Amino acid sequence: MNPSSPDHHLCSDHCGENPTVWDLPHVPLGLKREWLDLETRRHFLGQGVKALGWAGLATLLGRSAPKLLANAPILGAPTMLPHYAPKAKRAIYLFMAGSPSQIETWDDKPALADLFDKDLPESVRGGQTLTGMTASQTRFPIAPSVYKFARQGKAGRFVSELFPYTAKVSDELCVIKSLYTDAINHEPAILQLTTGNMFPGKPSIGSWLSYGLGAMNAELPTFVVMTSKMPHRTNVQALSNRLWSSGFLSPEHAAVALRSGSDPVLYLNNPKGVSSDVRRAMIDGVNDLNRQLFERVGDPEINARISQYEMAFRMQTSVPELTDFSKEPQSTWDLYGPKAKEPGTFAYNCLMARRLAERGVRFTQIFLRSWDQHSRLPTNIKLMAEDSDQPTYALITDLKRRGLLDDTVVIWGGEFGRTVYSQGTLTADNYGRDHHPRCFSMWMAGGGVKPGISFGETDEFSYNIVKNPMHIRDLHATILHLFGLDHNKLSFKFQGLDQKLTGVLPSKVINDLLA
Amino acid sequence: MTSWLNASFSGLSRAAAGRQAVAVIVSVARRHGDRRRPYALFALLAAGALAVSARGEDTFFAQRVAPIFEQKCVACHGEKKQKGKLRLDSFAQLMRGGEGGGVVKAGAPKASELFIRVTMDPEDEDFMPADSKPPLTPDEVKVLELWIAAGASETTSLAAIKGAPALAARKAPVAALAPDWHPRAAQIAQFEKSTGLRLVPRSAVPTDGLVLRTASAPTRCDDAALAQLAPLADLVVEAELARTKITDVGLVSLATFSNLCALDLTRTAVTSGGLGTLVPLQKLESINLTSTEVDDTGVARLKQLPALRKTWVFGTRVSTVAEDPAAAK
Ligand code: HEC
Repeated sequence: MNPSSPDHHLCSDHCGENPTVWDLPHVPLGLKREWLDLETRRHFLGQGVKALGWAGLATLLGRSAPKLLANAPILGAPTMLPHYAPKAKRAIYLFMAGSPSQIETWDDKPALADLFDKDLPESVRGGQTLTGMTASQTRFPIAPSVYKFARQGKAGRFVSELFPYTAKVSDELCVIKSLYTDAINHEPAILQLTTGNMFPGKPSIGSWLSYGLGAMNAELPTFVVMTSKMPHRTNVQALSNRLWSSGFLSPEHAAVALRSGSDPVLYLNNPKGVSSDVRRAMIDGVNDLNRQLFERVGDPEINARISQYEMAFRMQTSVPELTDFSKEPQSTWDLYGPKAKEPGTFAYNCLMARRLAERGVRFTQIFLRSWDQHSRLPTNIKLMAEDSDQPTYALITDLKRRGLLDDTVVIWGGEFGRTVYSQGTLTADNYGRDHHPRCFSMWMAGGGVKPGISFGETDEFSYNIVKNPMHIRDLHATILHLFGLDHNKLSFKFQGLDQKLTGVLPSKVINDLLA
Repeated sequence: MTSWLNASFSGLSRAAAGRQAVAVIVSVARRHGDRRRPYALFALLAAGALAVSARGEDTFFAQRVAPIFEQKCVACHGEKKQKGKLRLDSFAQLMRGGEGGGVVKAGAPKASELFIRVTMDPEDEDFMPADSKPPLTPDEVKVLELWIAAGASETTSLAAIKGAPALAARKAPVAALAPDWHPRAAQIAQFEKSTGLRLVPRSAVPTDGLVLRTASAPTRCDDAALAQLAPLADLVVEAELARTKITDVGLVSLATFSNLCALDLTRTAVTSGGLGTLVPLQKLESINLTSTEVDDTGVARLKQLPALRKTWVFGTRVSTVAEDPAAAK
């Protein structure tokens, strides 16, 4: 009956007269735990045993109550202890949605210059299915990067001239050039990166961390998401909350999306004329009603609702303090640049991410869209880089000087790569690139990641991986590892499977990336 | 009859349905001993024949072979589980073999079931370790090969077998950072309740110590709360005290946290004078003084801390901040 080893797979109708909540099928384990927790507290310590909606289980629970009680964790408490001592306490994930081209950013291919407008050999493509956007092209002309790379930092890494600021922290970065993914279109590819699965409905990385490790600061959400204003808009993908949902995990593990503007969390402020006391009384009243409903129907989702109300109330004080940048010293503005004062910009969000990290928020994900350069890539990628380069550098520098980088892992990247051949007409200064799942680059920094290295290699066309291929699953396994979690053990029983962020296909921690 | 049939079927859950009929026949054969590999005996004889050149710890088996089994095989072939009726947690057990008889043929790695299993195509369902568990590294395979080729003995000395790949820089056995906290769980709960602060185990390893976590309510953490922590002080390896109300008075309590490795004093009222009291912290590796009033004299006092590797002084009065903030140590 230990909740951490629920190896009872009995159906309730096989349990004779004594099923316990653990034996009920089709109910997520976490919900069972919560149910049990409230059940035991309320009915055994409180008014005693009562018959309940769930087949009179309370009566039956009496049998094993003390044992169950000992095992039932408190609501919101972590599901487990890290399997080993963590290196990272928090992560900040800079999600470059739309996917920046690896060829202009981190996968330097100087030799391509000689192959300008030559056809990409058929053998390199190897019969790959292309997207509808380029499948009908008669030619696949090679488009070298118009941006040059130069050696930077002590490690002498080649960094693109698109990133003059990030170049200054090049020695902090661990650049992975050999990531690959299964999806060739944005929505499934973004989902696969954020939740480990192309299909909606799975918990996001941040939700898994919240579920596994709990909160460091109970006054703020464990998982926060921000979307950023775009410096320009072309081919912008919609972002929806399924990218940061808790899936089958309890809803309290979903991200809270911080909005830009005066109302960072919607409906958090009291309506005009409603004082905090009145608000408190109202929440107490609603919670009471919810509890009564819970007693009647026993649906654990109701408890999640109650805890959301409580979190919202706590955020009424914690969020204004969080979003009040007035006490930031001038050095902050010098570092992040003037745009950091404008709510909703990427720069502002990076500064917010540092403030969230300081306050113990485990997982912050910032989306910056409009990297999807099917055409006019040279112009548009520059706009994107100009918008994000300084804040990215600032975030790393700021975390580092405040002693936070050691236990905060920063992750940068899009959802797939882009093709070496031009989509549409290729000229000396203009081209586009189509989606390319076979290889792409990302970087990580801090939080126990080995600084200053590059991992993996692609062929001369940045088309196929020739060394150290790393699937998204391996990235996920490695991120969890940094948090002290074994990706095979962080699981949740749902629909008959021990569901994991890394799914059922083989995945591994990439030890070469660890400091 | 049915029971062993079931057993063989379930043991073959990875086999394709079409192969099951064959498999049953094989297991009948195995039951009758026809396919038992008879060479375990040879191995034992061979081992006995070799001069007892070394004992216990200095042997190639103890130093190089057993650790591989321990790490990669014993989870399924040990005291708790004996998959294929095989145990690999001691030399004697290994030589006893498994379901199919002996698994090591002294002098002949390529004819040893154990070696065959770890070198076959990993996609093969007979490949070991089973269930896509981390496979042996090429070095580990080499060690097994050399050992079996040299006679698969328990007593051959480490030095006697040449050419074994160097040990990957073995991680020193992780030393306990703090005493096991479990016996004091009640006291810990009591402290958490009375102060509203948290004492969080760093990991499932009970001797990895506790983190003093204050992020939910930093202002509830003051000098008095730290003083209350005295009976548990040796359990705390990390103190997250950023934005708390602690002052130099609290540092006096902290000086008794004998196992403290990491101390975050960001944005607290501690002063250079107070830092001197931290000198007894022999294990302190990092201290964060960001946004405090500390100056050069405080940092100078910290020089006496033998284990200290990292000091953060951004936003303080310390004058020796590196030029490039990113390079601050
Ligand atoms: C995840 C569990 C698991 C792990 C780990 C594992 N094995 Fe096995 N092993 C099995 C199972 C199940 C069988 C029985 C089925 C079979 O014979 O393939 C087996 C059978 C064997 C057999 C055949 C025994 C016999 O006589 O039939 C050998 C030899 C063996 N394992 C060696 C190893 C070695 C060496 C390792 C470590 C490198 C290892 N195993 C790790 C599950 C495991």
